Amino acid sequence: MALENPLLPYIATITKVIDETPDVKTFQMVFDDPEVFNVFKQKPGQVAQISIFGVGEATISITSSPTRTGLLEFSIKKVGRLTSVIHQMEPGMKVGIRGPYGNNFPYEMMKGKDLLFIGGGIGLAPLRSLIDFVLAPENRQDYGKVEILYGARSAADLCFKYDLFDNWPKMPDTQVYVTIDRPEEGWDGHVGFVPAYLEEINPNPANKVTITCGPPIMIKFVLQALEKMGYSEDQVVTTLELKMKCGIGKCGRCNIGSKFVCVDGPVFTLRELKKLPPEF
Amino acid sequence: MLKEKIKSTVSSLLENKQVDFVIGYGAGSDAGTVRPTFVKAVEEVQELIWSPFAVNNLAKYVMDHLYENIKIGVIVKGCDSRSVVRLVQDKVFPRENFYVIGVPCKGILDKNKVARDFDLSGEFVDFVEQGDNVVVKTTKGDITIPREKYLMDKCYRCETPTPVVYDVLLGEEIAPFRRDNYEDVKNLESLSVEEKSKYWDKQFEKCIRCYACRNVCSACNCRDCVFDMAEPNWVGKAANLSENTAFHLIRAWHVAGRCVDCGECSRVCPMGIPVNTLNRKLIKDMKELFSVETPGKNPEQGAVLGSFRTDDPEEFM
Amino acid sequence: MRKGYILKDKLFPWLEAIRAKYPLIAPVQEDGLSLFKEVEKVSDIVLDYGITRMPPKDLFFPQTEKMFRIKNKNNMAVELETPEKITDEQVLFGVHSCDLKSILALDPVFTTRFPDRYYQERRDKTYVIGLSCQKALPTCFCTAYGITPTAYEGADLHLTELGDKYLVEVVTERGERLVAAVPGVVFEGTESLEAEKEKLTAKVAAEIKPVDITGVKEVLDANFELPLWEKWAQKCLGCGICTYVCPTCHCFDINDFNRGDGVGERFRCWDSCMFSDFTRMAGGHNPRPSKKERVRNRFMHKLKYHLDRYNLVGCVGCGRCVQRCPENIDIRAIISDIKGGV
Repeated sequence: MALENPLLPYIATITKVIDETPDVKTFQMVFDDPEVFNVFKQKPGQVAQISIFGVGEATISITSSPTRTGLLEFSIKKVGRLTSVIHQMEPGMKVGIRGPYGNNFPYEMMKGKDLLFIGGGIGLAPLRSLIDFVLAPENRQDYGKVEILYGARSAADLCFKYDLFDNWPKMPDTQVYVTIDRPEEGWDGHVGFVPAYLEEINPNPANKVTITCGPPIMIKFVLQALEKMGYSEDQVVTTLELKMKCGIGKCGRCNIGSKFVCVDGPVFTLRELKKLPPEF
Repeated sequence: MLKEKIKSTVSSLLENKQVDFVIGYGAGSDAGTVRPTFVKAVEEVQELIWSPFAVNNLAKYVMDHLYENIKIGVIVKGCDSRSVVRLVQDKVFPRENFYVIGVPCKGILDKNKVARDFDLSGEFVDFVEQGDNVVVKTTKGDITIPREKYLMDKCYRCETPTPVVYDVLLGEEIAPFRRDNYEDVKNLESLSVEEKSKYWDKQFEKCIRCYACRNVCSACNCRDCVFDMAEPNWVGKAANLSENTAFHLIRAWHVAGRCVDCGECSRVCPMGIPVNTLNRKLIKDMKELFSVETPGKNPEQGAVLGSFRTDDPEEFM
Repeated sequence: MRKGYILKDKLFPWLEAIRAKYPLIAPVQEDGLSLFKEVEKVSDIVLDYGITRMPPKDLFFPQTEKMFRIKNKNNMAVELETPEKITDEQVLFGVHSCDLKSILALDPVFTTRFPDRYYQERRDKTYVIGLSCQKALPTCFCTAYGITPTAYEGADLHLTELGDKYLVEVVTERGERLVAAVPGVVFEGTESLEAEKEKLTAKVAAEIKPVDITGVKEVLDANFELPLWEKWAQKCLGCGICTYVCPTCHCFDINDFNRGDGVGERFRCWDSCMFSDFTRMAGGHNPRPSKKERVRNRFMHKLKYHLDRYNLVGCVGCGRCVQRCPENIDIRAIISDIKGGV
């Protein structure tokens, strides 16, 4: 049942649409053929190509952890032509899914360590697949303390509020820090940019791996802060976003130097990132 | 010697900081090929040459510096100078930011025609005019070329041997001595509808959608080209007869009234499609309908399709 | 490797026998252009063709290729139809050694890791007959990459014209199948021909203007920023000519064509890294925002990245880009600039 034609998508149905923010929606999808779930088996951090037939394809990270079987979740921000069409779709509608593509977060290497997740805006979506994987009952004992630092422009722009404020804080040995950029009425949580909040919290680098994803400007300052705080290049993991088409390393679009983001990434350690030419 | 005049003019412009850099011609891969050369320091001036094969229209390169407010010197022939007028009239690049170095030209040699009968594979050394001949000195020997037999097709109908705008003219003005009778267009006009259709189908089927014709065209100066738009997707990216035909016809109409008939589109096409015949048909029609000159030839002439005169023909009303 | 010969005056009858069995794609002249096209009459074949305007990659990786049909009822019911058969068996004849090598350079891109069904089927069903060069063009430089004008790598059968005979080298098992299916090759007495082939190789190679790439990859490995990129990028028009005439370029786009009545198709088509919107993302961010980044990326791909990924050269020295670039951007001059650390 494995795709003998890797450019031909599986058909899936949208089963639920969750409004996360004014421009982000989470879509739950189920393959029409249940057998596909036995082959698809994504790992945390991988992406898929979502087809809106007649319109095109887009690369979206799989935000649901593989421990949640029988469905896939994609959180999609409305930024362009295709994502605008997706945002108008409703449960019951069909899409195509190709994947899983890309490398995954190095969750084996992370075992026995404390984990620090740093996310901004829609960047929390790929991180969430790993967070839920690590926090799943069957995996929790393999990992140490989990800290999640997340920020968005405003309270309305916070994604996955149900996880941030309900599910994750209830998990064993898990701490959630949420911040928004500017003060606003009705918000009594932390105010400030993510890199600044990170320096305030000043988490200890000992036996820790940090995984970060967010807008390029946030990542830039987060990496600077982490370096200042003593994190080594192997302790920092990030996931990149680049325009992709085929997702399978053939169409040539997503290369950074000799690497294709769709097969050699999108997950890179800071050590690997520094070896790449500055074209992302 | 023209080469020396070019070098001294450009050196002086750079020394006096009248321009930030100059675009001219340098030696290319073989004796029949020149390469656009960008000179910003006096030491680089020695790369500039003049060649009887200097065909490239250099004016459009200013579009790479749209928002920089710098002064750019450009070496232009008669046809190229019309592109300068185009870019200024379309308000793409201000006239005061151009320093136009005009070179009067009786015709450029067509390297493909010459290569059929002569060996151009050596490197270009120099050339000299000897009566009706051009003697090209190459590293593989001298070639004597009877000029009038080997010109670019467009040169035989050139009506502007002297650039129509310039800040300095490197040579004596040449009075127009050729006429454009639009023979190439008339030949196609004389065909039946079926024959014309078959002809253009054959041409458009060859198109590989490389967009060289669009990229080299100085009338194609939109910031966001309609063919690059995904939303709406006016013309699909697939290279088939239907989409290719749409591309060429839409582009011809988009530049109608602004195409200066410099001929670069046909020169650059890798598949030998006579792209500018479409544009020349539109220019011929405009001349007949509105009594205008080739756009760009007269800097005072306003936008052809953007003006209205009370005596414009109105057969359909 | 089995070797045989065909008498020169028996070549076209043999090709006709091939054409009677399989679609035969060979070099022809159309409107002054030399192109690989399917022939109706073998007399249309032009053997002495220099170089074709477009490379033979179109046979395995067409400019535009339908991937599958889409039947879509308002996104409530979707059916996808992939063609049962992508192509019939066919014979590609008359490919010079540079282009033969380019096919080998494309193979790992499409056939390894998520093998591409469309390319793979075309590749599996095409018999490739190579043809040695009798002369070099001023723009040829295959020898820079260790390719000789008579090399057979990439062919199933390889022909070399020597005097009144064609030496036939049966390079692959697929080539064996073809000579069995279409008899005409005589398998004996080729020793003297092989010696003559060596002489021809040396003669044609000597006509090639030498290009030295030693050290180029090392310079590119160590330097991402070099002044030469801006210098060459200034001349570039940003069109797609070089990428489209290049036999090893393989970038493509995937788009959907929507008829509007519930029937459409997904197709892929050539795309070019030289186009300004190639890497532009929705939202506006573009990792290669100016011509300099794009020009640098193209040449680094040809001279380094392709080697890094597949241990195969990304350029085969066919010279098409040199011939067709409207502003004479010459990869040989760029190589020389890189070596000079410019």
